[in-house]
Amino acid sequence: MTARRRAMLGEADVWALLERAGKRGPLMAPVKRGRNSFAFEWVEDPGAVALRYVRTVLPPKRAMFPEREAFLRFRRPPGAGAEAVVSEEPYVLFGVHPCDLAAINQLDWAMGRRHEVVDPNYVARRGAATIVGMECLPDEYCFCPSVGTCDTREGADLFLTPVGSGYLAEVLTGKGRELLDGRVSGREASSEEVGEAEAWSETKRRMTSCQVDAEMGELADLLDSRYESQVWEETALRCYSCGTCTIVCPTCFCYDVEDRLDLTLMSGTREREYDSCQYPDFALVAGPHNFREERSDRVRHRWFRKFVRLLREYGKPFCVGCGRCTQSCTAGIGLTSVLNAVIAEARESAA
Amino acid sequence: MKGDRIGSGVEAGLYVPEIATIVGARDLTWQDRVFVVELAGGRSLGHRPGQFVQLSVFGFGEAPISVCSPPEKAGSFDLCVRKLGGLTKALHGLGPGDEVGIRGPFGNGFPMKAMRGMDCLIVAGGIGLAPLRSVIDSIFLNRSEYGRLILLYGTRSPRDILFPEELEAWSADPRNEVLVTVDEASEGWGGHAGVVTTLFPRVTIDPVRTVVVALVGPPVMYRFVMAELEAMGVPEDHMFFSLERRMRCGVGKCGHCQVDGRCVCVDGPVFSAREIKTMKESV
Ligand SMILES: Cc1cc2nc3c(=O)[nH]c(=O)nc-3n(C[C@H](O)[C@H](O)[C@H](O)COP(=O)(O)OP(=O)(O)OC[C@H]3O[C@@H](n4cnc5c(N)ncnc54)[C@H](O)[C@@H]3O)c2cc1C
Ligand code: SF4
Ligand code: SF4
Ligand code: FES
Repeated sequence: MTARRRAMLGEADVWALLERAGKRGPLMAPVKRGRNSFAFEWVEDPGAVALRYVRTVLPPKRAMFPEREAFLRFRRPPGAGAEAVVSEEPYVLFGVHPCDLAAINQLDWAMGRRHEVVDPNYVARRGAATIVGMECLPDEYCFCPSVGTCDTREGADLFLTPVGSGYLAEVLTGKGRELLDGRVSGREASSEEVGEAEAWSETKRRMTSCQVDAEMGELADLLDSRYESQVWEETALRCYSCGTCTIVCPTCFCYDVEDRLDLTLMSGTREREYDSCQYPDFALVAGPHNFREERSDRVRHRWFRKFVRLLREYGKPFCVGCGRCTQSCTAGIGLTSVLNAVIAEARESAA
Repeated sequence: MKGDRIGSGVEAGLYVPEIATIVGARDLTWQDRVFVVELAGGRSLGHRPGQFVQLSVFGFGEAPISVCSPPEKAGSFDLCVRKLGGLTKALHGLGPGDEVGIRGPFGNGFPMKAMRGMDCLIVAGGIGLAPLRSVIDSIFLNRSEYGRLILLYGTRSPRDILFPEELEAWSADPRNEVLVTVDEASEGWGGHAGVVTTLFPRVTIDPVRTVVVALVGPPVMYRFVMAELEAMGVPEDHMFFSLERRMRCGVGKCGHCQVDGRCVCVDGPVFSAREIKTMKESV
C-alpha cells in the first residue's frame, strides 16, 4: 500500500476541522433529527454535527444529486432561450460511511461515465466536494461485508476512524491534505493506533448479522434463473408501491423531469426529481401501455436491476448494503430476505 | 450555452435545448400535425432515419419525437406529432414563427447500411409511419441503391391515415408495393380491413433478400409481426423494430427507458429481433 499520511486527531481537532469547513463554504453533515434518526443536511452550526450515527434516512448523495434540482432556466417565446443551471460551489461533505462512499463511486460511474455521457450537474457538484469519510459500526440492517463495501476508502479525501478518545485521519487526496494541513493540530499516528484502526474492519464483520447467501459473482445467474419465482408475487402482495425503498437508496439514480413556470408565466425552470421504478406509472407509455403493469413486475425489477443488470454492466451489485430500504419499508419488506429467498429457490431447483 | 465548459472541462450543455423555429405546420388528421422545424441559420440536424429529438415546449416539458423527414432534406426537418398529453396538446397550438427547443438527434436509427442492395419490407402501425417515412423517403432519394420497397401500413380507421398523398406517390412507383389496412372500416372505405398482420399473406417476399424495419404500436403487435415474419422465413437478424418507452433525458441518465440491461435511448430505439428475444419485458 502506498504510504498515505495518517495523523492522530483529538476530538477537539475534529470539531475545529468542522468549524473551519463551515467557515470556508457550505457544509453537509449528519445531524440528529429524532430519537434515533439522523439526516444529512446543510448545516449552519457545525456544533450540531453528529460524529457518531448508524445511518441517515436520506443518503449523502443528495449533496451531488439533490432530491429536486433546477438544471435549466428558460424563457418562453417570443425570444425563447435556455441556459444550463449548474452549481460548482465548493463544499465539504462530512461523515460519509464506507458503504455510502461506495455508493458515490457507483453514481460517479452512472452519472459521470456510463454510456460515455457526462451529466454536467452531477459531475459539477461531485467535483466541488471535499469528502470526509467516517468509520462506523453496523446494526441489524447492515450487510456491507456481503457486497464488499465495508472497507471503502475510494471517493473520500480524508477518512476518520475513531481510535481511543480521538480519530485516526487518513489523508487520501490533495483536497484532504488541504482541509487538514495547518488548520488542525495532529501528530503522526503510532503503529499501535494504526493497528487499532485497522482492527475495525474485522470488528465490523464480526458484528454484522445480516447477509446475502451468495457470492456476488454467482448472484446474477442465480436470480436470472428465478425470473418466474413466486417470491416476486408474494413480495408484491405486501408492497404498497410507495417508492420509499428507492428514494432512500444511495445508489438509485432514476429521475423525472418537470417544467415550472415563474409567476410571470414567461420564464421558468426545468427541474428533475428522484423518480421510482416502484411507482405504477414509471414504465407507462401512450396507448396506454404499461411495461411493468403488475406490482410483482416492479418488485422483481428492483432486484433484477440491482443484482442482475447493473451488476453485469458495472461488475458490482448496485447495492452497497446500507440497509436503508429495509429499515424504511412500511411493509417490512427486507432486501436481503427477498434476495435470500430467491437464492434458496435457485439452489434448490438447480440441485 | 452549448459548448460552455464547467470547471473540470465538462460540457454544460447536455440538457440545454437549441432554440429552433417552426417554419411550417399542417394538420394531417384530426389528431396528428406535422411541423417543419428549422435550426438557427438553417443548420442541418445531421440525423439518420429512425433517430429522434427531444422536443421542448417550454413550460410544458420535453418529449422524444422521431424525425420524419429524410437526412437528405436540407435546411429543415419534419416532426409528426400526435396530440396526447400536456406537451403535445400545447404543441398542436403552435404554427409558423413559433419557437421550440431541440436536443439531439439521439438513438441509433434504422440500419440503412444493412438495407442497401436488399428488398425493404416496412411495417408501420399508426403513428409508427412517421419515423418510417424518413426511411422510405431516404430510399426514394437513393432509389437505385435498394431493391423492392414494400410498405404494409395499418391504422385504426380511414380518418387516421397519415400522409395520404405520399402513400399515393410511393405506390405509383412500379418497384414499390404499398398496402394499407384499417382496423375499423367506415362507410366508403374500399380498402383492406383488419390489423396490419392480415396484410402479410398478400405479399410475397424473398426472405433471405429482405430486410424488415417495423414500428407497430402496442407491444403485442410486435410479437404478432415477429411471428408472421418468422413463418415467412425472415432471419431474426434481418428484422428491426423500433421500441417506445417513456423517456426523460434521451441520453442514458434518467433510467426511464431501461429494458432488461439495455437503454432504449442510447442502445436503441431500434433493435433486431435477435436482440429483442433476449431482452425481457421488451415487447
Ligand atoms: C423514440 C421515441 C420516438 C417517438 N416519436 C414520436 C413521434 O414521432 N410522434 C409522436 O407523436 N410521438 C412520438 N413518441 C411518443 C411521445 O414522446 C409521447 O407520446 C409523449 O409522452 C407525449 O408527451 P405528452 O406530454 O403530450 O403526453 P404525456 O402526458 O406524456 O401522455 C402521453 C400518453 O401517455 C400516457 N400517460 C402518461 N402519463 C399518464 C398517467 N399518469 N396516467 C395514465 N396515462 C398516462 C397516456 O396514454 C397519454 O395519452 C415517441 C416516443 C419515443 C420513445
Ligand atoms: S418501501 Fe416497501 S412498500 Fe414501499 S415500494 Fe419499497 S418495498 Fe414496496
Ligand atoms: S438497495 Fe437497500 S441496502 Fe442496498 S444500497 Fe439501496 S437502500 Fe442500501
Ligand atoms: S431516456 Fe433517460 S435513460 Fe433513456
